[in-house]
Amino acid sequence: MLRKIFVVLALIAASLAQTAKKSNPASETTNATIVLRGGKLLTITHGVIENGVLVMQNGKIAAVGPATSVSVPHDARVIDVTGMTVYPGLIDSETHLGLTEISADQMTNDLVETSDEIMPHMHVYDAFHGETALIPVARINGITNAIVAPASQDTLPGQDAFIQLDGRSAEEMLMVRDVAMPLNFTGRQRRNEGPFQTHKFPSTRMGMAAQLRQAFLDAQDYEQKIAAYEKKKSSGGDEKDKDKEKGGSTPPKRDLKLEALLPYLHGQKPVVLAADEPNDLLTAVDLANEFHLKIILNHLAHSASLLDKVAATGFPVIVGAIYAQPKETERYDAVFKLPAEMAKRGIKIAFASYDAHNVRNLPYAAGYAVGFGLPYDEAIKAITLNPAQMWGVADRLGSLDTGKLANVVVANGDPLDVKTDVKHVFINGAEIPLVSKQTELRDRYWK
Amino acid sequence: MMHRSRVMPLVLLLSAFTLAQQTPPQQPSSQQPSGASQEPASPEKPTPGTESKSPQKNAASTENPPQTTAIHNDVVIRGGTILTVTHGKIDNGSIYIHNGKIAAVGKTVQAPSSATVIDATGKWVMPGIIDSHSHIALDEDVNEATSPITPHMMMKDAFDYNDKKIYHALAGGVTTSLLLHGSANMIGGQAVVIKHKYGLGRDDLLFPGAPQSIKFASGENPKRVYGQRNQLPSTRMGNFEVMRQAFIEAREYMRDWDDYNAKVKKGDKDAKTPKKDLKLEALADVLRGKLLVQIHCYRADEFLTEMAIAKEFGYKVRAFHHALEAYKVADKIAANGVAIATWPDWWGFKYEGWDGIPWNAVISMHKGVRVALKSDSEDVTRRLNQEAGKIIHYGVPEDEALKMITLNPAWIIGVDDRVGSLDVGKDADIGIWNSYPLSSAALVDKVLIDGDVYFDRSLAGLGLTHYKEGQ
Repeated sequence: MLRKIFVVLALIAASLAQTAKKSNPASETTNATIVLRGGKLLTITHGVIENGVLVMQNGKIAAVGPATSVSVPHDARVIDVTGMTVYPGLIDSETHLGLTEISADQMTNDLVETSDEIMPHMHVYDAFHGETALIPVARINGITNAIVAPASQDTLPGQDAFIQLDGRSAEEMLMVRDVAMPLNFTGRQRRNEGPFQTHKFPSTRMGMAAQLRQAFLDAQDYEQKIAAYEKKKSSGGDEKDKDKEKGGSTPPKRDLKLEALLPYLHGQKPVVLAADEPNDLLTAVDLANEFHLKIILNHLAHSASLLDKVAATGFPVIVGAIYAQPKETERYDAVFKLPAEMAKRGIKIAFASYDAHNVRNLPYAAGYAVGFGLPYDEAIKAITLNPAQMWGVADRLGSLDTGKLANVVVANGDPLDVKTDVKHVFINGAEIPLVSKQTELRDRYWK
Repeated sequence: MMHRSRVMPLVLLLSAFTLAQQTPPQQPSSQQPSGASQEPASPEKPTPGTESKSPQKNAASTENPPQTTAIHNDVVIRGGTILTVTHGKIDNGSIYIHNGKIAAVGKTVQAPSSATVIDATGKWVMPGIIDSHSHIALDEDVNEATSPITPHMMMKDAFDYNDKKIYHALAGGVTTSLLLHGSANMIGGQAVVIKHKYGLGRDDLLFPGAPQSIKFASGENPKRVYGQRNQLPSTRMGNFEVMRQAFIEAREYMRDWDDYNAKVKKGDKDAKTPKKDLKLEALADVLRGKLLVQIHCYRADEFLTEMAIAKEFGYKVRAFHHALEAYKVADKIAANGVAIATWPDWWGFKYEGWDGIPWNAVISMHKGVRVALKSDSEDVTRRLNQEAGKIIHYGVPEDEALKMITLNPAWIIGVDDRVGSLDVGKDADIGIWNSYPLSSAALVDKVLIDGDVYFDRSLAGLGLTHYKEGQ
């Protein structure tokens, strides 16, 4: 008997140990204390520190400040980064990393489930392929975190994951599962164009809106049925007859699709609402407000006319789509200057690459927006602190502050400029080798 | 879908790639490779002003001399940092333009006092950007994907000179583009070379006297397009065999005409006139060396096969386009005098693009290949300056990076004796930038073509000088 207890205790201890290990990803590699000394620190939250020192310990930023005021631990590995720029790891607010390898090869794609337009129960984490060759390519240019979203062919294609671009397994890299739910209302979700020349419902925006509204209503109804059942169960079933209409004595059949919508109907998590045209934006926002959804806007390529209204709502915007074409009548820079126009109105913005293979180019979009009038500080915030706040991870990411995860990048110049070369990348305080499938090919052939 | 794709950003075009498998072959992301030069650009041996003699001019365009679009007076651009491409950088320099041509470049220039002065103090002045791979302004008639051999398709017949994308590229500093047939066919149609004089008439936009290019393709696109219809070719074996067969027929056609001409010369009045065949005539023009051959090609083995076929049939390859694996066989490409027109970092969208690396340009350059950076995209053509900046971060020296969007693409198109650098005698196609152009945040302030301003960012509305609303 005693022996049995011992075995059980041992098992519990083992599983606890495992849990502890899981919750501290890459713990083996983050023990060393690393100090970056002499660089220009873009802290994001408290300005630029010339000749700064940044200490990374146990995977976190242990100290950050001017060289004169931060002491260097005696056992630390000190990296001289004089002349370099040091900044927080960049955050890409929409990618398809880990959902595709070779776009044209369908067997390597897990981008979106197009059998139905309402698929909120599709979880990116179920498909996310942490070993993708695309992640090392992205992170050696300073991208350390990203949203992974399904592709946009469905109105509700599933739920996003927020990832860290390092880890020994997909599990370690998935920092926040089901972090948000995309809601696409750009017209491309209609089943009457592109790959969907099927002429099935919904083939119009009316259809899309009605279908979406019905889905939210169904979810509310589902929740009420569950509540009624629970209430009845807890009250002992005396009111059986009275509640008959509301669901009877058997539990409602579990519905994953409707269940998936509930946290969003409760406003617990953000819905990422994508629209380009003003009419689509208004329709979708009205619908979202009807159900009191918590909103992050996405795209808005041609909605410049509504920016004052957008500002009044206080919704943040993912405005990465600045390379979209202007409309026939618009000036060439109508879309390029959207980030500047938004920032001017106090809208909180974030950039996204909307890419997988070239996530590495995220900072250049922000740099381009600077050319078209976006203040530099806003541009860099839009790929660091702003997305960290929007995705609920600002306690851990987005700035060079003590206590945050040591996701830190060192480059030989302005992070937003195309000419800049990244020299060091740290994720969780561990130095990432600047190696990818591509550098291996380079090294094999560049002789 | 067809119309949507016009407004889809590059990224979406890529993700839409698989969709093209189910729908007819619209724009199989045109890709073509190209070859090296006689005097390859290399960092050790820069190529100052090595303007190769361009091949045969397009007969059509010489017969039909373009109208001069404006009578230019004298213009002086004064006070900018001038990036000449061929002879370095001139701080606080000036350019004198006479009758649309560059008449002087230097610290100071002699110019009539009546000349119009453009003050470029604090600005950067560089040649107009040249995009050696574009499919804009073709009203989506990019691929005649009904046969793998369509050399007689003339892109000029589809050229939509009112397409706003010509303006968008102009506003990104582009002054010349090569508008190519797509990559559905092993041998596609013949390209049109344009200057971005947006707002003028069709013939005013045609690059006067530019040589005629023809587009070939290889690899996944032709085999996919025809394979999914269960037609030949559906493999790379089929691809190349279809091509060889076409050239064999063209040879026979040429022989028939040679025989006939010989008989006529001898006074044989009964000689039967062979049938004129547009397709075979166009292929014969390839064999006669009248056309610049621009080949969409990704894989190392295919560059070698293409060059071998060219050798077998006696024509030259001008450039491999896309050319993502050029770095693997760059020495061989260089030895054949073939250039490449590539992207700095686009990769992975299909299997033959899986080994693409952003060091392709720098490795190829070091091995002696003439490298151009091109867009193949209505989006990227607007910011080729950024693409050139990116390649600096992958190891290309700044002056060579600049060449990759100016003089090198000019060579690929065969107009490097006319444009691509700021040299006396060349067309005054010039961009004036608000900061160092090969940067994330640089904007073009003014663009001149043939000495005339076509785009001015400071103007209200579209910033165009020759365009009237509702035109």
